[in-house]
Amino acid sequence: MRYKLLTVDDSKTVRIIVQKAFKLFDCEVIEAYNGVEGLALASKESPDVILLDVTMPVMDGIEMLTKLKSDPVLKSIPVVMLTAEGGKDSVVKVAKIGVRDFIVKPFKEDLLIQKVGRIIDLKPITDTPTKVRSVFDPATVLIVEDKPAIYAQIQDGLKHTPWDIQCVSTTGEAIDACGRSTIDLMMISLSLPDEAAFTLFRVLRANLKTKYTPIFGLVVKTDAAAQQLAQQVGFTGLATKPLDMSELEAKISRAMNLDTSERYFRNDQDTLVMSLPENCGLAVMNEVATHLKSKISEAVDSGINKAVFDLHEVRRLDMNLIKFLLSAMQSCREVSLHFSLVGSGAIVTECRAYEDTRSWHFYETLEEARASFLNI
Amino acid sequence: MPAIEDIPETVFQDTVSRAVHRVFSTMLGRSAVLEPIDSLTPPDATELEHPHVVGTVGFIGSINGLIYLYLAVPFAQECASHLLGMNTAQLAKAGDEAVNDAIGEITNMTVGTFKNQLSDRGFPCRLTIPSILRCSRISIKPMSSATRRIYRFKIGSHILTADLLMQTGE
Repeated sequence: MRYKLLTVDDSKTVRIIVQKAFKLFDCEVIEAYNGVEGLALASKESPDVILLDVTMPVMDGIEMLTKLKSDPVLKSIPVVMLTAEGGKDSVVKVAKIGVRDFIVKPFKEDLLIQKVGRIIDLKPITDTPTKVRSVFDPATVLIVEDKPAIYAQIQDGLKHTPWDIQCVSTTGEAIDACGRSTIDLMMISLSLPDEAAFTLFRVLRANLKTKYTPIFGLVVKTDAAAQQLAQQVGFTGLATKPLDMSELEAKISRAMNLDTSERYFRNDQDTLVMSLPENCGLAVMNEVATHLKSKISEAVDSGINKAVFDLHEVRRLDMNLIKFLLSAMQSCREVSLHFSLVGSGAIVTECRAYEDTRSWHFYETLEEARASFLNI
Repeated sequence: MPAIEDIPETVFQDTVSRAVHRVFSTMLGRSAVLEPIDSLTPPDATELEHPHVVGTVGFIGSINGLIYLYLAVPFAQECASHLLGMNTAQLAKAGDEAVNDAIGEITNMTVGTFKNQLSDRGFPCRLTIPSILRCSRISIKPMSSATRRIYRFKIGSHILTADLLMQTGE
């Protein structure tokens, strides 16, 4: 359900700030310049909440509120006053007419979201059907870690991604960073002093802006107690130290619900190309496998009948990779998709050592592999 | 209720300092530091030689008054850009109107915070609608019955001048 929020303020600046505050939520913000426009829009649009200023031309907020509360249809719409008129007398006067809440300007966007969030169930806009984010889209990852070496390791390990990796060392700085901008994923060191990671986690979950943000605990592999506690309180996942960066990258992509298929699959003219990376560990294999069938189906559906498995970056062959490739070949055969392989000399040599792979023929380049289809 | 002349100077200074600091730290993430100047001396026109955006909001009640906030145009643009979440190009496209409105709102919030403190001290009053002046070499001559105080704040590398004109009201 998309909620409607009506902001009634003669200041365009305030109306823009309100629009900005709620743009990440599944909530439509409609605007009125004064009380007359506000009443008209309230009747026409039936908003779920009204944010109302006091001092406005034509009809001020007090008069609009009085008329609203005397209208049998409109009186049940919750009103939050958002005004610089915050003296005790003003507050008491307005409270007598009937408002749900009162925000005195100046105000932080977070406070506005929090107060409106108490009235309507604000949900991040990502919960509604939108374009799936790709692994090549920018995102912001915030690390809360007091050990610079760990931050440096993460930043270095993810430098090839389009993600902005930020680091803070205290919980206060983390809360400030979340207030300043939208964080797509957080990693909090569970070894911060005084169990600060768990306190921060609770604060973030109580805040509408970060309620649904994926949060990972950064923890030493052997610290079972901290890992158990993190799982109990509801951390999205764990990143165990020493860090395996390719595994961490895959976990982050999954937690942010990113479409990683573009990293491995592309349609190159009339050919589906599947490129495997240098480090083809189990996490990567699982990730590629989740996209394989759908990508083959999509390719066939769009008229493609050739596929190349490009392994030229892969350094070594292991049983997991062999099993995966056998499964990929079988999937191609099932839909009559012709395929060929590209690989380095080292891979070709390794293939000769296994019964299942001895007969595999590799081309040195993608162009050669594509040319081989001319004989079909 | 004490007359305006009986209100100690420190009350005005503290009240306006708190208001400026609260607005600039909450809305713009900037701290405002009060400059040690004589609050009875009007701003020198040469200080305001460059083009300025001046926001004005009044308050009416047991004290009547006006507060002018003087911001040099680049500072006003910087504030508007931050407040509206616009970059320089977007702000330029939005024009002076957007800057005026943003400074009007900053003034409204500052004067509101100032007068709310006065209201809570037993001087109830209400705000008027903001207005904006764009000018160079501005000089304001208040009526002789008005109490005037001038405060200057350093905000980053910029200066904000607050000019208060008040007299006892209803």
